[in-house]
Amino acid sequence: MPVSRRTLTAAFTFCLALSLSGCGSGGDGGGSTDASGKVEGDITFQTWNLRANFKPYFEGLIADFEKKYPGTHVKWVDQPAEGYADKISADAAGGTLPDVVNVSPDLVAPLAKAGLALDLDKAAPQYRKEYLAGAWASHRIPGMSGTYAFPWYLNTGPLFYNKSLFKEAGLDAERPPKTYDELFTQALELAKKSDGKVATLANVPTIEDFGRYGVELMNKQGTAFAFNDAKGVELLTEYKELYDAKALDPQALTATPESSGKKFLTGAVAMNPGSALDLGNFKKQAPSLYKNIGITDQITSTGHVNMYVMGVMVNAQTKKTPAAVAFAHYVTDAAHQMSFAKQVAIFPSTAGSLDDPYFTKEDGTDETRVRVAAAKSLKTAVNYTPVLFSEQMKTALRNEVAKALQGKQSPEEALDNAVKACDTLLQQQG
Amino acid sequence: MSSSTVSRARGGNGVRDGNGLPGGGGVRGGSRVRRQLPTSPWLFAAPGLLIISAFILYPFVSTLVNAFTDRRTLIPGEFVGLANFRELLHDDMFWIGLRNSTLYVLGVVPALVILPLLLALLVQKNIPGIAFFRSAFYTPVVASIVVVGLIWVWLLDERGLVNSVLETIGVGRIGFLSDQWLLLLSAMAVTVWKGLGYYMIIYLAALANVPRELHEAAAVDGAGAVRRFLTVTVPAVRSTMVLVGALSSVAAFKVFSEVYLMAGPSGGPAGEDTTLVMLVQRTGTGLTGRVGYASAISVVVFVVTVALMLLVLRADRRDES
Repeated sequence: MPVSRRTLTAAFTFCLALSLSGCGSGGDGGGSTDASGKVEGDITFQTWNLRANFKPYFEGLIADFEKKYPGTHVKWVDQPAEGYADKISADAAGGTLPDVVNVSPDLVAPLAKAGLALDLDKAAPQYRKEYLAGAWASHRIPGMSGTYAFPWYLNTGPLFYNKSLFKEAGLDAERPPKTYDELFTQALELAKKSDGKVATLANVPTIEDFGRYGVELMNKQGTAFAFNDAKGVELLTEYKELYDAKALDPQALTATPESSGKKFLTGAVAMNPGSALDLGNFKKQAPSLYKNIGITDQITSTGHVNMYVMGVMVNAQTKKTPAAVAFAHYVTDAAHQMSFAKQVAIFPSTAGSLDDPYFTKEDGTDETRVRVAAAKSLKTAVNYTPVLFSEQMKTALRNEVAKALQGKQSPEEALDNAVKACDTLLQQQG
Repeated sequence: MSSSTVSRARGGNGVRDGNGLPGGGGVRGGSRVRRQLPTSPWLFAAPGLLIISAFILYPFVSTLVNAFTDRRTLIPGEFVGLANFRELLHDDMFWIGLRNSTLYVLGVVPALVILPLLLALLVQKNIPGIAFFRSAFYTPVVASIVVVGLIWVWLLDERGLVNSVLETIGVGRIGFLSDQWLLLLSAMAVTVWKGLGYYMIIYLAALANVPRELHEAAAVDGAGAVRRFLTVTVPAVRSTMVLVGALSSVAAFKVFSEVYLMAGPSGGPAGEDTTLVMLVQRTGTGLTGRVGYASAISVVVFVVTVALMLLVLRADRRDES
């Protein structure tokens, strides 16, 4: 059957009109910043890969909330860890972002810039004092006023090391490296003694490494990156030496957290960052490694370890602002953070919670040793990752670092190029 | 289909007029037929058309439009003319992607045109147990690419099975997953290995249509196995080879999964194994994704893909003439 030219033109025009109309976020959602009304209505709460292990906890928490605030109904959705940012961006672009969303600071930044994250300094300033000052500040965006998510749980993974590999290299397994200088010395020694067969690290330096080495990551205004200073070049030069000596795994340039973990399990690398959860994996998957496992703090030359912050954001376009704010606060208040911390190895971001005996007293087990040490280091920990540091910027830094390690360009050139690329991306973010 | 529709349709060839009456005014009736298209075929086609419009036509037009904007994931963006395409010319990563995607076509397509044909000739014979081999060769096709990718990563790892064997026989360990070229070659090998069975089935169907008499006549004339293959089999399946060439070249230029799984999200050491489609994914996704720029790369991928198809088809027509 012939299709007329007019029909085809109409179809094309329809598609063009749809395309031009776009489906990007708009500011017409009609949400209110006033959270003072009656807490009622249906809201949706989205978490990040938590249903599999914590279903009873969240179901109980939601039931308690609904009981406390009759007339509310919370629909809980959980998204897998893989592609979480893509899921949020699809929801945000499609106008289907849930009312309350589990986020990390780097996810909040673009949402806040697009007007999709509620400013809690305006909507719920009364809750601010309940949280650690640093944790509350972690969801502030350079160049914007306001705070865009409730701080939820904190974490700072310990560093695991293989004691037997240290002993075989003639190193003191009870005195693992604490600073980068100690790390570089011991890593080179380990590589030399094992004839290049055992690397100490499996990953190239990330932005957190630059932060822990004492490099200034951004300028004071947060408008440009600055990690190409002399200190940054020094760190990358040291890593280049490690790479050449095979103290940094040859596959580090393409490593992922999963592949690094596997290399540690098989004894190909001597140190790997992790969390208290990993101890269970070691016990199950590598019993011989578990017997020789050493646990130490993250390597840092600043005296402050890196802190990972999780947050709970309220959609600025929610129709149920009072209920959404009340629920986000309910999830993150001191009592519920403490209760959640007893379910899994995380740490509360609420003021005073880390002084609880649960985080200060050891019972002789490795689990409590890791927990108490981590809680202690968290009190002075820093979230080194700039909130504006996007995935594209991570890739740009990683690629330039890889070129320096391969000798394709000097550490200075690599970091200059990385800063230039990150600044360009920063400007494009708007 | 209603009787009136049938009547109107018949009216189109001059047998009846627009009202279904015989011998009506020809010109007037004809123009009415052209204006009033029958509705039933459209209704039958509507579900398919809707799906095609929603999932192919709309995204295609949308990508074309976005390519000329600075649209980002959460910000609609504005018209920027050819700025994205100009930026592409100065983007090192784009040229790396174009180089790798082109190399992938050059490395993979010849292997996928020739090897499955040889494999099909091997399993074509009806001998006991041949069904097992046909199934075995086809198994990689139905296996998940993620599973296949992970298995090959384990095999080719610095401490994997392949390197252990190489070390045992004195060759020494090879950095299949740490050297940019070896990584690309490894990914190509996986693509070829996974695609062999699929194209083998296509060739088997084509070989079944080659008359046995031609082979017998060639054999009587004294042609050996190689000569029969070159003078009888290859000409007989030439159009299938063109089809396989076209399909595999388009698939190879758009490669993503194999390289992504083996080289990692960063695209290998320093991103040197990034392909164009990986670059589209990396640039255009996430909350800070540059949708406009990624769309411009997609347009380039589309143009090159169409050009590849036309090139293969043109070469075929030239051979035929």
